Amino acid sequence: MTKKQVEIVNKTGLHARPASDFVLEAKKYESKITICRENGVPVNAKSVVRILAEGIGQGTKIEIAAEGTDEEQAAASLAALVESGFGE
Amino acid sequence: MEERLQGNPVSEGIAYAKSYIYIPGTLTKAPDFFPKGQEEEKYREFRESCEKADSELVTLYNGMCKEDPDKAKIFSAHRELLQDEEILDEIRETICEENMNPDSAVSKVYTEFAELLAGVEDPLIAERAADLRDVRDRLLRILSGQETSKLSSFSEDVILVAHDLLPSDTATMDRKHIKGILTEVGGVNSHSAILARSYGIPAILGVPNVTEKIPTDTMLAMDGLTGEIFVTPGEECICDIREKQTSFFRKKEAEKNFLNKPAIMKDGTEIKIGINIGSQEFDVPTDRYDFIGLFRTEFLYMEGKELPGEETQFEAYRQVVQKAKGHPITLRTLDIGGDKTLPYMELPKEDNPFLGKRAIRLCFAEKELFLTQLRAALRASAYGPLQIMFPMVGSLEDIRKAKEYLNLAKEQLKERKQQFDEQIRIGIMIEIPAIALIADLAAEEVDFASIGSNDLTQYLSAADRMNPEVAAYYRSDSTAMLRLLRFVFQEFSKRGKEISVCGEMAGNPETAQLLVGLGARKLSMSSGNIAGVKAKLAECTLQELTALAEKKL
Repeated sequence: MTKKQVEIVNKTGLHARPASDFVLEAKKYESKITICRENGVPVNAKSVVRILAEGIGQGTKIEIAAEGTDEEQAAASLAALVESGFGE
Repeated sequence: MEERLQGNPVSEGIAYAKSYIYIPGTLTKAPDFFPKGQEEEKYREFRESCEKADSELVTLYNGMCKEDPDKAKIFSAHRELLQDEEILDEIRETICEENMNPDSAVSKVYTEFAELLAGVEDPLIAERAADLRDVRDRLLRILSGQETSKLSSFSEDVILVAHDLLPSDTATMDRKHIKGILTEVGGVNSHSAILARSYGIPAILGVPNVTEKIPTDTMLAMDGLTGEIFVTPGEECICDIREKQTSFFRKKEAEKNFLNKPAIMKDGTEIKIGINIGSQEFDVPTDRYDFIGLFRTEFLYMEGKELPGEETQFEAYRQVVQKAKGHPITLRTLDIGGDKTLPYMELPKEDNPFLGKRAIRLCFAEKELFLTQLRAALRASAYGPLQIMFPMVGSLEDIRKAKEYLNLAKEQLKERKQQFDEQIRIGIMIEIPAIALIADLAAEEVDFASIGSNDLTQYLSAADRMNPEVAAYYRSDSTAMLRLLRFVFQEFSKRGKEISVCGEMAGNPETAQLLVGLGARKLSMSSGNIAGVKAKLAECTLQELTALAEKKL
């Protein structure tokens, strides 16, 4: 399993378009991917509803965990997407 | 038995018709199950309903794309929810492992997820629960074998009674036969309210338990002006409502007669009527207005993926000048920051955006952005009477600083040998109480000012106008506000400087009267309000309105 810690930097957080973009990117990989808030329960990163329900705002730290054949790539690209601020 | 209900009138008009209680595909029966062995068949039924729903959403999206791209986005968001992995997994498990029938399973799982989102603290996310319910209802309708939404065609006139209306209900609504709308939830700015107004259908929202109180096919009379609803009205009431309906239509017709005429009061006083526009794509015949009191320029910044260049801006401004055919135009420089953000510009998150680095404050910090806009505006002034107005000015220093920037932009154009109006008039928005209170000093510094009554009310009363919890504290007709307005009108008029109002107060016939009574002679509003305001002003004399305002001071 590959894990990456990132902080949400874009203003809107993981809502609306950023949440959709995140899920779209996650779906490109075969690995099982989850995201988890500090002291939270991991949720499926390929489900927009689950991600929205986490209510992840700007400044929140999350852990991205991927498990599968392309886990390293998956975790790295998702972490990069979050760090890029979703182009906001 | 005649019964009376009361709600919040959000779209004016009078209607008398049969009720139609709209309960979207929601299941009322208890969840039911199928015998073991049919799992595959039942699951296939569910998958087929998803495919059908998806193709409906694609059609809706394509149909709406040109007319209203924002609304179209709702349907692509619905497709995304329809394909959500977790929802699909849970429904599959509920059908295949618990043997629950597809309709019950859809209802159960979607409702659970909707409740999950509704519980999130962030209101933007909580609102998305409505999208989940919308997708759920679409699936339930398809599973029940119904082809189209029940609201898309009626054979007779109805008053639609619903808990709430969802975007996909209203996109395909039968506008010919739906004569009125009653819902249990929603306020003036809700989706249903905006839609009702744009379709010209009378609507009363926030009527508690109305779907339970009124059975289908009950005769209803509704007054969208007062918010009254009469259930099974008696002879007398029907007569009364018919009369109101006739006079409402007559009033609307009569107002139309004022549309193309100047706004002249009984005693001959003329009030100049302006329009507020938000892009060069406005379509108001030039005989309906005297000036463009507010040309918002934010659209140029919101549309693209990067800051608009000088040429793009100049082109848009020039088009407005030419379209206005000689009517003066007040261009307001960029009013962004705070709650309005730009997708390509990182702005700091603020705890109190309305008290933050917005409008002119942001422009002072982003010199190039500001100078680019000023140059574009100056260049457009070579083509007609364009004047520049600065928003969110709070002190004389702000005014002087803005003027310095304008002079710098002028110098730059002179160096390039480009044409502009050397005598271009400059003005300010009066929306911060601190500038309103020194209107005497400010008037010496500028050629004109325009009162943004919405923000001025908000800042003066310390009440957020978007927050329904404090709606009662946001009062544009408070004594404090009226005294302040009178002071501003007096100080500007005394010095022969132009003063107008471009906020919502100017477009509402009642408050427009009040403004004139306080000293306003120029009112700028969205074009839909012109007829009503002109008609209302024609009813009275200046003296009467002055007396009316005096009483409130």
